[in-house]
Amino acid sequence: MLRVRDLVVGYGAIQAVRGIDLDIEQGEIVALIGSNGAGKTTVARAIAGLLSYSGEILFEDVRLKPNAAERNLRLGIALVPEGRGILGTMTVQENLLMGLYTRNDKAQAKLDLAVIHQRFPILAQRGHLLASLMSGGEQQLLAIGRALLSKPKLLLLDEPSLGLSPRMTDTVFAMIEDLRRDGLTVLLVEQKARQTLQIADRAYLLETGCVITTGPAKGLIDDPVVSETFLGSRTAAVHR
Amino acid sequence: MPGAGPGVPKTRSNATPTSPISFWDAFVLIQQLVNGLTLGAVYTLIALSFSLVMGVLGVLNLAIAELFMLGGYFGFAILLARLPLPVALVAGMAGAALVAAIVERIGYQPFRGAPVVTPMLSTLGFSIILQNVATNVWGSDPLQLSDEVLSGRFNIGPASISAIQLVVLSVTVLLVASLAFLVQQTSIGRALRAVAENRDVARLLGVPAGRITLIAFMLSGSLAGAAGVLIGVHYAAITPYIGVEVGLKAIAVMVIGGTTRIWGSLIAGPLIGIVEVMTVAYVGSQIRDFVVYGLMILILLLRPQGLLGSGRGDQSQRV
Repeated sequence: MLRVRDLVVGYGAIQAVRGIDLDIEQGEIVALIGSNGAGKTTVARAIAGLLSYSGEILFEDVRLKPNAAERNLRLGIALVPEGRGILGTMTVQENLLMGLYTRNDKAQAKLDLAVIHQRFPILAQRGHLLASLMSGGEQQLLAIGRALLSKPKLLLLDEPSLGLSPRMTDTVFAMIEDLRRDGLTVLLVEQKARQTLQIADRAYLLETGCVITTGPAKGLIDDPVVSETFLGSRTAAVHR
Repeated sequence: MPGAGPGVPKTRSNATPTSPISFWDAFVLIQQLVNGLTLGAVYTLIALSFSLVMGVLGVLNLAIAELFMLGGYFGFAILLARLPLPVALVAGMAGAALVAAIVERIGYQPFRGAPVVTPMLSTLGFSIILQNVATNVWGSDPLQLSDEVLSGRFNIGPASISAIQLVVLSVTVLLVASLAFLVQQTSIGRALRAVAENRDVARLLGVPAGRITLIAFMLSGSLAGAAGVLIGVHYAAITPYIGVEVGLKAIAVMVIGGTTRIWGSLIAGPLIGIVEVMTVAYVGSQIRDFVVYGLMILILLLRPQGLLGSGRGDQSQRV
C-alpha cells in the first residue's frame, strides 16, 4: 500500500532521517519504534506531506509530492500528529466538522459523524465545549475521531499514548486494534515499545535516522537489539 | 500633594454648581455621539480588515490603508457614472479585494516563512505605490461628488441623523454581521480559524492553506473597500491621502481592541470614533491625533492585550 524508498529529510544542516526504506501492506498495523530523536516523527510527517524530502514515497502506486498534505489527505492518508493537533479555540463539534472538510458526500458525511458520536459518546456530550478544555485522553479520542471522518485508508498515529494514563493508553491501543478490524491500515509511531509490538504486525526500529532492525512484531519483542535500545545500554555504550 | 495639607481650600466647594444641562448642550452632545458613531463605524470596518489578516497570518498588511482609499475611488467612479450607491459599494469592495489579491500574491506569498517584518515592509512598499498610482490617476486634489448621493435628515429627539449617516451605520452593521456569520458558521470560516490557530494541523485536515490565506486577504480588502466608499460618500469627497489620515488610525483601533481578538474592534471602533469627535468638539482638532494615538500607546503600555484580550498565553479565538 505504501512504499518508502531512500527517504532523506533534513532540517537545515541536520539530517533527521538518513535513507529509510519502509513498506506497509493493506490491513496491517506497522509500528515505528525507537528512542526520542530517532526520526520517527519526521518519517510520519514526511509521509503525511508536511515536510520537504528527497527519496520516493508511493501510496497505492501514486507518487506522493513532498509538502503536499492537502493532496495526501485526499488520497487517503491521515496523520494524527504528536501532541494530538487539537484546535483548542474551536469547540469539540467544530473540530469534528473540520474532519469533514474534504468530504463532498454531505449525506454520508452526516451519517459518519453520527457513527463517530456513537463510538465516542463523550464527543457528543461535550460537543459545545472548547476542545482545549477536554482532558488529554478525551482530546486523543477527538483527534482520532476527527481523522477518521476524512475516511482515510492509511492512518498515521504519532505517539497517541503520550501523556495519557496507563488505563487511557490501554483504551487507545484497544481502539487501534478495533480500527484494523474495520479494515484500516495503521502506522503507529510509539516509544512504548512493548505494548506497541503486542498489537503490531510488523515493526521498524529506528535509531539516529536509520532503520536498524525490522521484522514481525512478535519476534522483535524479545530481540536483543530492541531491548538494548529501550533499556538504554546501547546508547550508554556509545556515550562511554 | 496640593489639597492634602491643611489650609488648602477643599476642592469640593470649587465644583461647578449642579445646574440642569441646557437643551443646546444636550443637543450638541447627542449630535456628536451620532457623528462619532458614524466615524467609529468606518474605523471598525478598517480595523476588522487589519485584524483579519493579522489573526490568520500574524502579519500587519499596511497596504490596507490604501485599499481603503482605492475602494473609495472605485466607488466614486461608479457614482460619477450616475449608477446607484449599492453598485458603488459592490464595486468598491470587489475592486479593493482584487488589489488585495495582487498584494497577497506579490507582497506576501513569496515572503512566507521570512521574518514577519519582511512581508510588513513589502506591504508598506505596496501602500506607497498604490498612493502614488492614485495620485497619478485621479490627481492630488480632492475628488468631489457634484451632488449629494442621498439627501435628507431624520430627527431623533433633539438630534438629527443624515440619510448618509444612516447608510454608513446600517451597512457597517450588515457587513459585520455577515463577517461574523461567515467566520463562525461556515466551512470557510472554520478553515480560516483553523489556519489561524495551527497551519500544519489545518493542512493535515485537507485545508488548502495557501488559498485560505488568499481568501483572508480578499475578505479583508473588501471590508476596507466598503469603508472607503462609505467615508467617501459621507464627506462627498476623497483624496489619495485619506488612507494615511483615516486608514492608519484603524491600526490604533485594532491595538486598543486587542490584536488577539478581532471582535475587540467592535468596541474600540465606536469608542475611538466618539473620543475623536468629542475631542474636536470640546477641545480642538489640533490635538485629535494626539488623543487617538496617545490612547494606543497607553494601551500598549498598560494593557498590551487590548481591551478585550485576556492576558498572556491567550487561548482565545484569533479570527
